[in-house]
Amino acid sequence: MFRNYLKIAWRNLMRHKGYSAINIAGLTVGIAACLLIYIVVQYETSFNKQNKNYRNIYHIVTQSVQGNDVSYTPGITVPAVPALRTDLPEATIAAMDVSYGSQITIPAGSGHADKKFIEHSGVVFIEPQYFDLFDSEWIAGNKAVLAEPNMVVIDKSTAIKYFGDWQHAEGKFLKMDNLIDLKIAGVIEDVVSNSDFPFKVLVSYVTLKNYPNNYNYSDEWGSNSSNHQVMLLMPPGESIESVNARLKVFSKKHYTFDIRGTFNFLQPLSDLHFDTRFGNTTGDHITSKATLFTLSFIGVLIIIMASINFINLTTAQSVGRSKEVGIRKVLGSSRKQLVFQLLGETTMIVVTSGFLALIVAKLALPYLENISSVPKTMGLLSAGSVLFLISTLISVVVLSGIYPALILSGFKPVLAIKNKITAASIGGVPLRRGLVVAQFAISQLLIIGTLVALNQMNFVNSADLGFNSSAVLVIPGYTDSLSLQKMGQFKQQQLQKPQVKSVSFISDAPSSDNNWASNFYFDQAPDDVDFTVFLKAGDADYFKTFGLQFVAGGGYAPSDTINQMVVNETLIKKLGIKNPKAALGKTLRIGGRGVWAPIVGVVKDFKTNSLREEVKPIIIAPGKRVLSLAAIKIQTGSLTQTVAEIQKLWEKTYPEYAYNGYFVDERIAQFYKQENQLALIYKLFAGVAIFISCLGLYGLVSFMAVQRTKEVGIRKVLGASVGSIVYLFSKEFLILLSISFLIAMPIGWYMMNGWLQSFVYRIDLGAGVFLAAILLSVFIAGLTFGYKAITTALVNPIKSLRSE
Amino acid sequence: MLSLQHLSKYYQAGGNKTFVLNDLSLDVDEGEFVSIMGPSGSGKSTLLNIIGLLDEPSEGYHYFAGEAVHLLKEKQRSAMSRGYMGYVFQAYHLIDELTVYENIETPLIYQNIKGSERKALVADILDRFNIVGKKDLFPSQLSGGQQQLVGIARALIAKPKLLLADEPTGNLNSKQGDEIMELFLKLNREDGVTIIQVTHSEKNAEYGNRIINLLDGKIESSRVLNHQ
Repeated sequence: MFRNYLKIAWRNLMRHKGYSAINIAGLTVGIAACLLIYIVVQYETSFNKQNKNYRNIYHIVTQSVQGNDVSYTPGITVPAVPALRTDLPEATIAAMDVSYGSQITIPAGSGHADKKFIEHSGVVFIEPQYFDLFDSEWIAGNKAVLAEPNMVVIDKSTAIKYFGDWQHAEGKFLKMDNLIDLKIAGVIEDVVSNSDFPFKVLVSYVTLKNYPNNYNYSDEWGSNSSNHQVMLLMPPGESIESVNARLKVFSKKHYTFDIRGTFNFLQPLSDLHFDTRFGNTTGDHITSKATLFTLSFIGVLIIIMASINFINLTTAQSVGRSKEVGIRKVLGSSRKQLVFQLLGETTMIVVTSGFLALIVAKLALPYLENISSVPKTMGLLSAGSVLFLISTLISVVVLSGIYPALILSGFKPVLAIKNKITAASIGGVPLRRGLVVAQFAISQLLIIGTLVALNQMNFVNSADLGFNSSAVLVIPGYTDSLSLQKMGQFKQQQLQKPQVKSVSFISDAPSSDNNWASNFYFDQAPDDVDFTVFLKAGDADYFKTFGLQFVAGGGYAPSDTINQMVVNETLIKKLGIKNPKAALGKTLRIGGRGVWAPIVGVVKDFKTNSLREEVKPIIIAPGKRVLSLAAIKIQTGSLTQTVAEIQKLWEKTYPEYAYNGYFVDERIAQFYKQENQLALIYKLFAGVAIFISCLGLYGLVSFMAVQRTKEVGIRKVLGASVGSIVYLFSKEFLILLSISFLIAMPIGWYMMNGWLQSFVYRIDLGAGVFLAAILLSVFIAGLTFGYKAITTALVNPIKSLRSE
Repeated sequence: MLSLQHLSKYYQAGGNKTFVLNDLSLDVDEGEFVSIMGPSGSGKSTLLNIIGLLDEPSEGYHYFAGEAVHLLKEKQRSAMSRGYMGYVFQAYHLIDELTVYENIETPLIYQNIKGSERKALVADILDRFNIVGKKDLFPSQLSGGQQQLVGIARALIAKPKLLLADEPTGNLNSKQGDEIMELFLKLNREDGVTIIQVTHSEKNAEYGNRIINLLDGKIESSRVLNHQ
């Protein structure tokens, strides 16, 4: 019996090649898209789960409330570490200080000169207790070595990168940031890619104490850097609420002075990868739950669309199969047997699509890294993905197979064998219309999503940042005394090149994802101001290099220490000063130990961070000690050559350092990597959705054309024009399209308005986007069924009526 | 073996009942070959469908092989039709996607007969009907007469007690029609198959041993023929 069904199913597929191809193509694309989405979602949700203490590890984070300002940082102050050990004795506490870019030098040895490596991530000062929290496999050495200063543990592939093999790495020396000599005391296995702790160079934490100035290491309770973070392991059974209550007491006890409303609380490890309040903490990236939800939602929509296609085409086609069903019933088939047979056919189509989808997904997998953080090496098949595929196939069979099977098997045999079953008599017309509306609505929703996301990203990419970010090359350097000495000489030499317009040593570009914050005092007042100020340091050429505009006063004179300051409009507004000129001459003091210095200029507001964030109150001040970046404004044209020359000179000036320059505008574009990816995802899946719904629409119109051949023939004999017949076909679809638009519009508005809220600077969600969406879908639908409608209308009526 | 008593079939259209069959009674014994005649709309096909358990009467009593069919449930009726009935149609109604062999085999599949036994039965009937050479062809590759031959083979494969034929020669030329009728006669005489056929042709009707004339849903006349 089963073989018989398979045979019939196969021959039916072959006989209706067109419909089968439409069904299989739609399902293949839908299933492949879902499978890829599953891989992304599954990858993102698998982060950190490989640690056996996953449930009991927490990240201690800091919340600062100042007036209406609530700010979060993943960092915690240095003196908090021993204090926490005292106040939470049952917890295992591991402090670390993450470097967001370090140079590692392998000293010259037998047969090679100094080898210099820039490590943008994975370098960390860390306490040995870290290994009590996180699982790690030691190939050489053990965690105890990290209790000693000037010790370093590296991972296997870094060892291979530095020394050619890992077996001989132990006991060798390396130099960090041309400053710290480190002895390799251990080698660990590489950390898996789905970890937010991808450390590869782990320096003993106690080393940090000897270099407080170079790594912002301060034993003040008032100084908090986001680099300095603490992880903690609680014994099982301890509730997060009770620990948070104790941390509240702890915070009250210690943060007593100038910084107000600062609290520490626990962020569970299971939230760390999804918590956008803290930005990127220690890992490569974080992903918001909303993004994952949107992605999963799109996946479900796509599968629903593919199933709808299937239902529509199969029910429509069922008229043609009524005779077979009738005969089978007469020959003794029960309804159950028929349902099984028809479901068997569905299964065959779905399984075929499943296999094709695997091939499509396999081909698409390497491109997945363009829209997600899934590494290129990720495999397609895993227990999870196979299970997902199977359950998807089963649900598609059920979703799309049951209804047509019930319809078909319910035919009365006497009517069926006499071909008295017509499209109208099988019913379900409202259902089919409903399904078409759902399909249109889904594609319009995705079109709206695409248009809004693209518009916003376009707005973001071309937004006026308030300064000139183009053709400014930034080269990270270091702040050791030797490097600082060479500053002047380097600047003079660069400026001799005609293409170099300006050179400035800075701590931070005007727009960056850094936040260097402090409390501050204003106008000789004894108490600090009740909001936090953000700091950027630069020499006197900072304003010229970035083209900042002054609304009052001007830049400061060259100085190695903070003796004059420039502020932005936001700062003086927050201080309650209306006229910028009135701010000139007033004094400011940064932090409790700083010196008073007068304001000499007020700059026009520029975007201090990404467009997701408000413009922050900013102080720009000189202060040679922290100027670790060289910013060089270059004349546009012959950029590449100029950059090469600059690099040559830089390497000559700082032979012990590796060159690592980048353009400011490129770095700014990096802020929006996730949003750009999301826009791309919308674009991609809107494309998929449009493709699937076009397939379905085309199939449905072809079917309608066959069904209405006789009607068209009669109408033509009666004198109908081609145009009026095309209108006959289009009318219904236009109505359905309009209904679906009424559904898609509010949902799309709600969804995309929510997304836009994550930007402080955003486009207006006007009628234009929605108008464009409906015009686009009418246009696409018209293209799809226009051809078929016209060819049907052109058929000679003698031909179509004769067959009756 | 078959007894219909006061059987009616009507459709409710507005307030009026339109009768297709009107208080009809009929008995058919095992081994009979009955021809049903009558003008279009007289209820021939409806009667045949009711006898074949493909349709239900609106009123009346229906006994078949000792069972009160009018009391049976849908499932039981369908089980009964599977065991006892064979159908031959004017338009053959072969399944286009199946070969001759597979078409004939299908009823056996629905009766859950084992593969090896099915093979033997189908081979036997192909042989008997002289269509072994056509077994791998599809219906569209056969002439009308050949298709009807396959249709009859398919109707007989499960050894039905009753063969029902709705204008079996209606789509055939007279020579093919005669051959089919000869085959019916042979089946009836030699194999003892009970046959009820609906026909328009007086000539074909006379192959049977009883001719029933229907008019407006009633039996107008019934005539027993004596073939030697």
